[in-house]
Amino acid sequence: MSSDPSGAEEPPVLEQGDSIVARRPFFSGPAGKIFIIWFLMTTVGVLIGIFAPHHLLPTLLSTEGTDVWRTMVLFTILAAPVAAFVYAVAAYSLIGWRHRGNQDEPPEDGPPLRGNSTVTAIWLGVSSVLVLVLLAWGLAVYSAESVSPPHSLQIDVTGQQWVWTFSYPGTGVETRSLVLPINRPVQFNVTSVDVTHGFWPVDLGVQVDANPGVVTVIRATPDKLGKFTVRCSQLCGLYHSFMYAPGSVVTAAQFSQWLQSEGASTTTAQATALVKQ
Amino acid sequence: MAITTDPHDQGRVVEAVAGHHETREQRHFKERLALWLFISGDAVFLLMELFYWFYLRALNTDGMWRGVNCSKANPCTDGLGNPITQEIAKSTPWYTVSIAVLVVIAAAVVWEVERSAQRRSKRSVISGGAAIGLAVLVAAVVVQCYQFGVLPFTTIDGTYASTFQFFMGSTLAHLLLLTFIVAGLWTRAQRGRYDGGHWYQVRIIRIFSVWLAVSTCILAIVMIAFS
Amino acid sequence: MTTDLTRPLLLEDTPIGPTAGGFYRRQNVYTGLAAGILLGFVGWLISNAMLEGSNWGTDMVVTVTMVGWVIGFNLGVGTFNAPLRWMLGHDQTYEDELYAAGVGQGRKRYYKFCTDHKVVGTQYLVLVVVLFAIGGTLAMMMRTQLITPHTDFLSANAYNAIVSIHGMCMIIATIIMVTGPFTNFVMPIMIGAKDMAFPRLNAMSFWVVVSAIPPLLATFVLGGVDAGWTTYAPLSVQAPPAMDAFAITMIVFVISVTVSGVNSIVTVLTMRAKGMTLGRLPIFTWASLVGAALSIYAMPALLIAFTSMITDRVVGTSFFVAGQGGTGWLWENAFWIFGHPEVYIILIPPVGAMLEVASTFARKPLFGYKVTIAAFVAVAALSIMVWAHHMFTTGWAPELAGPFMVTTEIISIPTGIIFLCLIGTLWKGRIWTRLPMYFVYLFLWNFIIGGVTGIYLSDTPADEFFHGDMFVTAHFHYTLLGGAMIAATAGLCYWFPKITGKMLNERIGKTAFWIIAIGIQVTYFGMFWEGFEGMPRRVAFYDPIFQHANDMATVGAYMLMLGWIVLLYAGINSLRHGPVAPANPWHSKTLEWKVPTPVPLVNFLVDPVVTSDPYGYGEPEPVGPLIIPPPHPDRELVPNLSSDNPLAKDDG
Repeated sequence: MSSDPSGAEEPPVLEQGDSIVARRPFFSGPAGKIFIIWFLMTTVGVLIGIFAPHHLLPTLLSTEGTDVWRTMVLFTILAAPVAAFVYAVAAYSLIGWRHRGNQDEPPEDGPPLRGNSTVTAIWLGVSSVLVLVLLAWGLAVYSAESVSPPHSLQIDVTGQQWVWTFSYPGTGVETRSLVLPINRPVQFNVTSVDVTHGFWPVDLGVQVDANPGVVTVIRATPDKLGKFTVRCSQLCGLYHSFMYAPGSVVTAAQFSQWLQSEGASTTTAQATALVKQ
Repeated sequence: MAITTDPHDQGRVVEAVAGHHETREQRHFKERLALWLFISGDAVFLLMELFYWFYLRALNTDGMWRGVNCSKANPCTDGLGNPITQEIAKSTPWYTVSIAVLVVIAAAVVWEVERSAQRRSKRSVISGGAAIGLAVLVAAVVVQCYQFGVLPFTTIDGTYASTFQFFMGSTLAHLLLLTFIVAGLWTRAQRGRYDGGHWYQVRIIRIFSVWLAVSTCILAIVMIAFS
Repeated sequence: MTTDLTRPLLLEDTPIGPTAGGFYRRQNVYTGLAAGILLGFVGWLISNAMLEGSNWGTDMVVTVTMVGWVIGFNLGVGTFNAPLRWMLGHDQTYEDELYAAGVGQGRKRYYKFCTDHKVVGTQYLVLVVVLFAIGGTLAMMMRTQLITPHTDFLSANAYNAIVSIHGMCMIIATIIMVTGPFTNFVMPIMIGAKDMAFPRLNAMSFWVVVSAIPPLLATFVLGGVDAGWTTYAPLSVQAPPAMDAFAITMIVFVISVTVSGVNSIVTVLTMRAKGMTLGRLPIFTWASLVGAALSIYAMPALLIAFTSMITDRVVGTSFFVAGQGGTGWLWENAFWIFGHPEVYIILIPPVGAMLEVASTFARKPLFGYKVTIAAFVAVAALSIMVWAHHMFTTGWAPELAGPFMVTTEIISIPTGIIFLCLIGTLWKGRIWTRLPMYFVYLFLWNFIIGGVTGIYLSDTPADEFFHGDMFVTAHFHYTLLGGAMIAATAGLCYWFPKITGKMLNERIGKTAFWIIAIGIQVTYFGMFWEGFEGMPRRVAFYDPIFQHANDMATVGAYMLMLGWIVLLYAGINSLRHGPVAPANPWHSKTLEWKVPTPVPLVNFLVDPVVTSDPYGYGEPEPVGPLIIPPPHPDRELVPNLSSDNPLAKDDG
């Protein structure tokens, strides 16, 4: 889409009275003006793509969250030229092709262009290629995230109206707040005891529903220290709004310290082993 | 758009003769097309029913499709000693089979009514056939209602019981609809609506009854063979 | 048979008194209300009697009462007259059919079971406005609640109930907003037919959906549906009895949409005028056809979902109860097998209407007519294979996320073709910026935003952040409100002169346009902002970090409501004081503009013969055979004689 898309479909326009010889300069014809609008809008779109997700998304604390951010940037940049092209033609049609004067009577008819197979083919080709790029990116990221790395920290998450409970198997720790060690893959095994909840540790950039009777799995690898909130993303009844839990990503040392302070039945050795696995 | 209309008629007159530009064949095609569209909607419903059945059966959450046999490992009680899971007995297939057979018979009878209407048979022949079809359908409805009373399980006994009774209910609803239509066939045949080669409406009813026979048989096979 | 068929009949001067044909000529909406309340009461008594000594609870009572109401209302209003009389062999007479078509009843025909497709279309239009008013009011209540993190305006339960009913009310309204008014009123005239193929089914589809609305509103006094419009099980299985009324509404709505879908398809395929080949059909007709076909596929899934929901709640089946072998995933699958085609049932017909407007006001033929039709068909076909993208994060079949991501993103290719058609039509046009065209540009602006944000959501890893988040809410409001509803508004402004006979006041209309246009951007950019920050959907109280974004959305929402009210005022004002519309104010070329306004009962006084497609702007009028068909001696007055009618003469 980096070439002039409008130039491909329309030769510079000849108005009545123009001679074949005296062609108007490109940028004063419709195609040129559309190109200028398109270029400006694409630039704006790309800038939005680069800066907006960074500023609007919360600080994403995991590699999966970073993937979300990257996806936003890439998709916005890819979509910008297409959207800008549609906007540019529409904007120019209001500037250059608008019927001025008495609005009570219709203008004379426009040129009877009933279609253009070249343009359609180009349009189809470009959109297919873009979709292929999006798909390749999305499938690659998804398959990378679907692999469970060995030695990942297992955490059982249980939703109930309207509380999250996190337990760390092997340590006997069961808490209402989610604490994760940095740089260690985590596998959340999520279930519910009543209705469907949505387990959503927001700043980790992943979520999965908590369904009664079954265990669903989601993985994340925290790679930044910080605090986050676990929210419920699935309407679960009266106090859905208040179903959240605090979470934090801490260093490995802080994590084992925290486990010891939480776990009555945990020995220091067990907790340390859990961390070092 | 280039059209040709009579320029003198653009007044306030609603003309008594604004034409029906339809031939008889077109009108019949219209009705048949609508019927096939309704049947395709019903076919989607049937497919969804099969999806329910096979999905729940394959999922078998906690062995609760038909419950599990009690054993030492699974004592079939909750912590307080109340029975919870128990294997559900299968329903006897004979009611299901007999309903399917009755619907097939009814469809065949309606088909025969269509033929006799096409042959310009006597009014009594046509209405007699319709009466037989109606009787068979009423019998099927009665059997279906009776089956609800003799099931070895209730609705709360797991997903097999639920889906089985859902299928029964769906069959019953369809049967009631067909009974209504065949009752109309009978009363109208008595009034001579299908005399003298006026067979087209009977054909519409026949198509619908054949579809119901097919769908009822599919449901019956699933209910019996894939419990 | 007293009517003299050779005498011209006037709509005004042929009173067919209500007493002439027995009680069913006295039926109207009031008898419907009375019978509905009566049968609902009877249902209430019966179910209470049945409940003696049993423990099924109030679910049974609510269900039976609501079923009683629906049946009673339809009996009272006359929906079942024709089937019952058919069954008894007492077919409707010629006078009955004249009466049913509204001959000689003036305005009263708008309050009764009327088979005239123009009356049904107008009735639908009023119903849609009412539904939007209800849904919009609920939306305002939600946004008011969200103006601060902890507002005491609504309780948590009331908020959840309002969220659910706002959603479903708007879904019902948007499904019927084009297929109701415009497909019924305009489409038969567009193809040169004198009515829909099955006028009684047409009237039935309207009155059935009317009977579905009171149960929907009754949910508020029955405890409120607290499970969202998607009513995910098992929460909805545990919901208050309101859920039963909600399910009845949906089941009845399924009947209405299926019936009207069948009717539209048969009309397009069999009722076209001479020369109106499929290749000459206006694009709106194609869009209606594709949307109707899709609804026949999608609606049965909704039917089984809500039927099994009712059995789960009333008789204790366990489809969605995990403890007894069921699963919420079954509900989610059934619901979204309906739910994703549904958004295209909503979207495709308005887009078709919008393309008609674009062609007329750009004074150019539609660009890529056949490619656009192919795109509609492709969107419809693909849309039945994408439902699980609503379930990427439910944990159901993670291995299917890839395939569903593929189908979902491929759908953007045919959707893009619709944009190509639109900008190709604008290309070098003579843009006549009347009010309908304003909404076409607004559609274009909004739908690009809705489409691009949809691409993020179709990507599973990104969806794992955004699912269940206000970002999703903003996205689908951009597509369904900013896209479909704005396109439908373009269609409304375009066909307003034909439907009402008055020109729409464009000065007020353009004021409304600007308020709406800016309101949409402010509201839903506010919601995008909330979504980026991570605010979940359907929360009555929220973290103070989301406050600025919420305030923005609330301010925008008030603006949006104000804009719609101004537009409604423009409509009412024009109805009262507007100048009388000429037959073809837009100098459009489709057939509905060739008939006089108000449209005569039989639409065409002489059968039209079509010799070209309706987009011949800038082309010489085609030279075709000029055929003026002679009046036939025994043509019928009423367009909808059923084949049972003796006058039809051809039941053989």
